[in-house]
Amino acid sequence: MKIFQVEGTLVATARIGQLENRRLLVVKERGGGKQVAVDPVGCKPGDWVIAVGSSAAKDAAGHKDYPSDLTIVGIIDYWDEDTPAQGGKR
Amino acid sequence: MQIQRVVRDLVTTKRVFWLQAKPLRVVEDYKGNLEVALDPIGCKPGDFVLTIGYSAARIASGNPKITTDLTIGGIIDHWDEELWRS
Repeated sequence: MKIFQVEGTLVATARIGQLENRRLLVVKERGGGKQVAVDPVGCKPGDWVIAVGSSAAKDAAGHKDYPSDLTIVGIIDYWDEDTPAQGGKR
Repeated sequence: MQIQRVVRDLVTTKRVFWLQAKPLRVVEDYKGNLEVALDPIGCKPGDFVLTIGYSAARIASGNPKITTDLTIGGIIDHWDEELWRS
């Protein structure tokens, strides 16, 4: 799982049927680029979240045939981006 | 899913059977890297789209037997270059 910060909702009216009417969010990876994730949890912009990728994303979005490659699975209660990781590796 | 922009059509007459007659588009990411995505919707060049990768791309194509690893899932209503690159 990777850590992302939610930037906002993404509106795509013309979409494939299998995507249903699920909420899509623009998320930004820590130190990385923007991606789009399915949100079955209900996140606000600014939330730090964890998301699963590849085939686990399909199950996490609800059912095996849902075409998601990135799905949010939890909102992190407390995340301080400015605190360096413990263990001295960073 | 990634946010990408449609560059143009791609025609491949000779192709494997399991690509069938699905339309293909050249798409670019915010860095300008080009990739090819299967297009079940019908996008125009310049459209910002969300693309689905990995094995979910095969489901998104409408038939899990289709051999694709990138499929366009939707056209984004409001998006611009600045948001994309920031």
